[in-house]
Amino acid sequence: MGQGVAVTFYSLVVLIPLAALFSNAFTHGWGFFWKAATAKEALSAYQLTIVCSLVAAGINAVMGLGTAWVLARDSFRGKAILNALIDLPFALPTVVAGVTFYALYGPKSPVHLTLTGTWTGITVAVVFVTLPFTVRSVQPVIETMTFNAEAAAATLGASPWRVFRTITLPTLLPAIVTGAGLAFARAMGEYGSVVFISNNLPFRTEVASSYIYSLAAAGDAAGAAATAVMMLVVAFLVLVIVSVTSRRLVKGH
Amino acid sequence: MKSPRSVKSRIVLTLTLASLPLVGLAPATAHADSSTVNVVGYSIVKSVFTQLEAGFQATPAGAGVNFTNSFGASDTQTNNVANGQSADLVNLSFTPNIDQLVTAGKVPANWASQEFTLGGLNVALKGSKQQTTYPTPGILTDSTVVFVVRAGNPLKIGPSWLKLVKPYTTSTGTGKHKVVTSHTYGIVTPNPTTSGSAHWNLIAAYAGAIAAGDSKSQATSYLQSLLTNTVAQPVSGSAALAAFLSGTGDVLLSYEDDALAAVAAGSPVQIVYPSKTILIENPVALTNSGLSNQAAKAFYAYLYSSAGQTILAHNGYRPVTKSVWQTTASTFHKFGGSAIPITTFDPSGWTALNGQFFDPSTGIVSQLEQSIG
Repeated sequence: MGQGVAVTFYSLVVLIPLAALFSNAFTHGWGFFWKAATAKEALSAYQLTIVCSLVAAGINAVMGLGTAWVLARDSFRGKAILNALIDLPFALPTVVAGVTFYALYGPKSPVHLTLTGTWTGITVAVVFVTLPFTVRSVQPVIETMTFNAEAAAATLGASPWRVFRTITLPTLLPAIVTGAGLAFARAMGEYGSVVFISNNLPFRTEVASSYIYSLAAAGDAAGAAATAVMMLVVAFLVLVIVSVTSRRLVKGH
Repeated sequence: MKSPRSVKSRIVLTLTLASLPLVGLAPATAHADSSTVNVVGYSIVKSVFTQLEAGFQATPAGAGVNFTNSFGASDTQTNNVANGQSADLVNLSFTPNIDQLVTAGKVPANWASQEFTLGGLNVALKGSKQQTTYPTPGILTDSTVVFVVRAGNPLKIGPSWLKLVKPYTTSTGTGKHKVVTSHTYGIVTPNPTTSGSAHWNLIAAYAGAIAAGDSKSQATSYLQSLLTNTVAQPVSGSAALAAFLSGTGDVLLSYEDDALAAVAAGSPVQIVYPSKTILIENPVALTNSGLSNQAAKAFYAYLYSSAGQTILAHNGYRPVTKSVWQTTASTFHKFGGSAIPITTFDPSGWTALNGQFFDPSTGIVSQLEQSIG
């Protein structure tokens, strides 16, 4: 019964739309698909999007771990508020984030930092949007971790860095990898927060989602679907790598 | 600990949800009630249609008529209507979009003659009997491409298209310490793949170069310089204006009506009129469903009435009827006495011209963008 409901739900929400996307992408055959998916403008958009998403996932892996650590192990005034603030990037419509970034890091930047039209600007925007992923995947693991092994190692004379490197980090790594993988996947599809700050210059600063939107808006549904399928394949490969790595790490531990 | 499998599923779910909007644009549904008119328009006419509909509802023919409205990027709107979105009256940014709807079977092939049969305007009359400002049938409003610069025009941007891509210098210090720096004007124009107005802007630039005496190949390399100096290509005309107002770039290429609206709204910008620019013609048509809808037909006629054209003129659109043009011409810039100097520089027509410039693989602009990137 439960399985039936799960399968039906998953089919309606995931499998059928995915199948429709693939069927759209191959409407005009393999030749059309490949031509659309490897158009020069698409290739430059993939490159930009993948690089910025990887960097953002990396930044969030490190910063998210730090934030999760502070939230799980330290107590300080305003912790509850900080804890609630972490999820705000999810609640905020991404277009609102995009407009805010444009005002903050645009040519009239009140902090004298102009990032519009740069890869850095795009990365900053996706770091913001994907921030909660690592924090929220790592935090519960830290909270439920027992201190015994760490304490024992410390008693035996291990330096704090060695304790962290040999005991704490291996325990947390699967959660960090998971969070970073989710952040990467989410960053790949980001539109609203980056479309303004990027300045949207084809071949220069146009992200994949914006390129796909422009194809869809111009009525090229098959081309848009083909490009989207390429993005899905890249994201899927990364996620498989993440999944395998994460499984190895769990076993190794 | 989460199992890797569940994590992967969650990720795939996230991705799929993100891709959902691509799967199919669901056509909006509306009542086929004869007292309801479904209006589909390009993005910037939204506010003027609010006024036009209110004006129409205040007339005997419009009493009790309801409207549904949908405004957005012209190409997107065209595709939505072609794919089944209810539309009785379409006002799009250029003729090729209406031609697409003819191909899709939504608009009759003789749509342009509706101006005569329903709007009561004969574009063919000449001399003292002339009823329209230009002899193009099916057009609701005219406009043109202008330069929008910062208030006070601090960089002294002039009316020449060609000079727009020439470097200018600034100097700091005096005497021996004087340092002269060369800059180029940062240009903002919307992305031609999503924005109708971007098509007009780039064709105007090309036409401007031709009018200044450039050969076709010189005009193409001029366009290349212009695109190289383009610092932002926002998704729509209004997004481009927003980026410009946030400080991006030195000059924005824009519809005259949009620019006039920005000035009227008190934005710190001013308009520089290019010495040569093109005539923009925004078409209107009743669809097949609109032709069987009395209210839609009456609204169409209202758009060409003095009242309708006057509302359009007051919102910065150049009216197409001669009588309203005569009473409102003083509010518009004049190009050497005439409304707009370049009516056409290529007799092949807009649909052919559009392909020549914007075809994704063979278009001049598409190829230039690629060479710059």
